[in-house]
Amino acid sequence: MSFEADLLALVPRLRRFAVSLSHDRSDADDLCQAAIERALRARDQWQAGTRLDSWMYRIMRNLWIDEGRTRQRAAKTFVAEEAGAHVGFAGDRQIEANVMLSDVDRAMQALPDEQREAIALVLVEGLSYKQAAEILGVPMGTLTSRLVRGRGALIELMGEAA
Amino acid sequence: MSDISEDMLIALCDGELDEVTRRRVERAIADDPALGERLAAHRLLRDRLSAHYAPVEQEPPPERFAALLREAAIVTPIVRPRSRRAAWAMGGAIAASLLLGIGFGRFSVGEGSPVAVRDGRMVAQGALASALDTQLAAAPGAVEIGVSFRRKGGGWCRSFDGADLAGVACRDGDTWQMQQLLPGKGRGTGYRQASSSDSRLAATVDALIVGDPADPQTEARARDGGWAAGQ
Repeated sequence: MSFEADLLALVPRLRRFAVSLSHDRSDADDLCQAAIERALRARDQWQAGTRLDSWMYRIMRNLWIDEGRTRQRAAKTFVAEEAGAHVGFAGDRQIEANVMLSDVDRAMQALPDEQREAIALVLVEGLSYKQAAEILGVPMGTLTSRLVRGRGALIELMGEAA
Repeated sequence: MSDISEDMLIALCDGELDEVTRRRVERAIADDPALGERLAAHRLLRDRLSAHYAPVEQEPPPERFAALLREAAIVTPIVRPRSRRAAWAMGGAIAASLLLGIGFGRFSVGEGSPVAVRDGRMVAQGALASALDTQLAAAPGAVEIGVSFRRKGGGWCRSFDGADLAGVACRDGDTWQMQQLLPGKGRGTGYRQASSSDSRLAATVDALIVGDPADPQTEARARDGGWAAGQ
């Protein structure tokens, strides 16, 4: 199969990963599209014979981290202005968004990024600890301690609902 | 009471324990209902998370993702055919990528398109054909010629880059036959970055070229001679 066909076959899993990382579905699809575009541009860097899924998860995760930093910077820069002009609108939207969220979404969003990405790769994507640690570029011990903390937090957050 | 840590319990739940440790943890759980409850909570969490996100993987992804990948797949193999069999296979690959394009309207092969299929081969036509016929390398135009060079086995080839298509074509009789086609630089989506696409064009040129690319004088002479193999 070609690189493009292999990549196309991975798209459903990549979307699932994107949804478990980001806060809403349209952000998730934007992230997914950005990851595919980056993969196509960087295809020369992918080594045939290595796992394409790991490579794609890594690309997506790095994009998401970069985007998060940009968003945080933007939030710091623009918050004063925005708050004045759109407070009613933004507030309504926020409430509506929260109502739409399930317990699982809410609990996942409450996790620190480093725990959420570990949980997403192992519990949602079903990857081995070894593969997940490689994707995140951390030692196994770091991965397992993030899983322990993340799982503990989720069980607590989803407590009544579980 | 037990020496079973939280990460061992979690590793059991995630299927990450070796056989010996797994048995030890399971024995400890059998003796300690509190441990069993913690394990059950972890299993329930794993089940809930995977059930929650599973529908995303089941639903058909947006069409734009598939379109992006189809667009990237309009690429003919860059290896030269080594035998009749290989030449036949390459024809098939070209036909397949063309069919993809036609089917989804991203890249249609018709009257106004820069390439046509004649006798099962993909050749330049219209503005692309005249650019290949007459335009010198690096001259400005809707299509720009990258390099002109002699190919192994004789004859001229030229690389080109335009708004819609980039590629390498070789002279065959009085037509320019496509050796490789890539999306052009003018896509606007920024998806085709110069580095990756240019390196693919360069790889094709490397695979075909004999000696160095033609200098401007040689190129002009070849053009004036109608790109005949002996020029």
